[in-house]
Amino acid sequence: MKNFREVLESGEFTITAECGPPKGTDIKEMLEHARHLLGKIHGINVTDNQSAVMRIASLPVCRLLHEMGHDPILQMTCRDRNRLALQSDLLGAYILGIRNVLCMTGDHVSAGDHKSAKTVYDIESVQLLRVVDGLNHGKDMAGNDLKGPTKLFPGAVVTPESNPIEPQLIKFEKKIKAGARFFQTQAIYDIPKFRKFMKVARNFDVKILAGILLLKNAGMANYLNKFVPGITVPESLIEELKAAGKEEALDKGIDIAARQIRELKDDKVCDGVHIMAIGLENKVPIIMEKAGLL
Amino acid sequence: MIISKQKDMEEILNFLKGGKSFFLLGCSECAALCGTGDDKALNEMEEKLAKSGKKTIGKFVAKIGCQVLGTKIELKPFKEAIDEADAILVMSCGAGTQAMVEVYPDKEVYSLNDTLFLGNMTRFRQFDERCSLCGECILDKTGGICPVTLCPKGLLNGPCGGTNNGKCEVSPDLECAWVRIYERLKRIGQLDKMKEILEPKDYSKHFKPSALKAKKDEKK
Repeated sequence: MKNFREVLESGEFTITAECGPPKGTDIKEMLEHARHLLGKIHGINVTDNQSAVMRIASLPVCRLLHEMGHDPILQMTCRDRNRLALQSDLLGAYILGIRNVLCMTGDHVSAGDHKSAKTVYDIESVQLLRVVDGLNHGKDMAGNDLKGPTKLFPGAVVTPESNPIEPQLIKFEKKIKAGARFFQTQAIYDIPKFRKFMKVARNFDVKILAGILLLKNAGMANYLNKFVPGITVPESLIEELKAAGKEEALDKGIDIAARQIRELKDDKVCDGVHIMAIGLENKVPIIMEKAGLL
Repeated sequence: MIISKQKDMEEILNFLKGGKSFFLLGCSECAALCGTGDDKALNEMEEKLAKSGKKTIGKFVAKIGCQVLGTKIELKPFKEAIDEADAILVMSCGAGTQAMVEVYPDKEVYSLNDTLFLGNMTRFRQFDERCSLCGECILDKTGGICPVTLCPKGLLNGPCGGTNNGKCEVSPDLECAWVRIYERLKRIGQLDKMKEILEPKDYSKHFKPSALKAKKDEKK
């Protein structure tokens, strides 16, 4: 079976999903969700203390999913570790069979559940991409030779609906220059707007997976619009969710996600999608089926 | 300037529990501008201490409290009061407090202020942080706006995904430093500078404790 990188580089429409480790050692449900996705998706992201909320670390969960048969994408943020820890974790990830790493700066601790924590940010996303490139070439950040390099597939994130967009695009270009080979975007809902972003992105030799965040109801859409920077749910979608009624809202959300994925795939807008279902990973196969991917 | 803020009286009285008489020392520089070390602040502190049965047996606003030798000379006329006092209470920054520890190694010295940051007075008694003293200034590359200080993540290569219509994800009251830098570089025709990847900071330049000795020929 082809791994995430091979599928993406072959030009096949690539599907990734996400696994958020729990706070605590009971991983039964998480593993169940992951098992449900086995053989259906090409890669699975494991979040790294997402939203600055303390949970199980990404790396051991990546290893467990790897053992299960998934090709994990290690999310690595710069918020909690300095350059020594980041590099040693990357080397550790490699020897544990992890081959993909998503380099991010990381949400600020003020968003999370340990607000008095010291933020690290010794380096940031663009620099972390360079670090991965260095390790792949057998060098650490200080220029020392490694006894055995890594061969990690480096990815990054971008927010296509960021406002203003120009600084975001400059950073996008820097991430490519720093070694990013693929991007998983922040959730997008406005497809025409995303097409505009893709016009710019297509000037670069880099793969783009559109972020598809499952809408559970109109309330969630309003919350995203109000509180989550870089995400805009168009009014028309909110109306659709409202019209579906409380009981049917989630089904409508699934329909919307499937419809958007189908459009992106049929029109070859981007190279794949990253489906975020946040706790409803069991719905991912349903979305895929409705989108004609299964 | 160094921005300081007076501690809560409760905390102050707690560490002054054992003492009865004190010498108050302010500073006419930063702490005076902050209202934490000028004559008025010292007088008010004297009153507050008196209410709790603590006596102020001397007080003085040093010209530059962190200038160790100068302050030592300035304090000579107060020798008797300082000798008699149970402790010296310093109303300046942490450096001013430690200057007193150097001058009076056998005396108890306490700081009545918390030292917060290096910043500008942007309006009367409003202070905003501007410099992180990182020892490796990059203002030439960022249009004179410091992302190390003004971005809560200290990002060096552009805004994060949390930038929100020019505001910061950490607080809607904060402007996104990188949107400001972008706009400023654009205005002065230096947008190319934003495309350059800035290297990770060299924290060995921010080694603690730092010291700098001016070269002899530079002394006047």
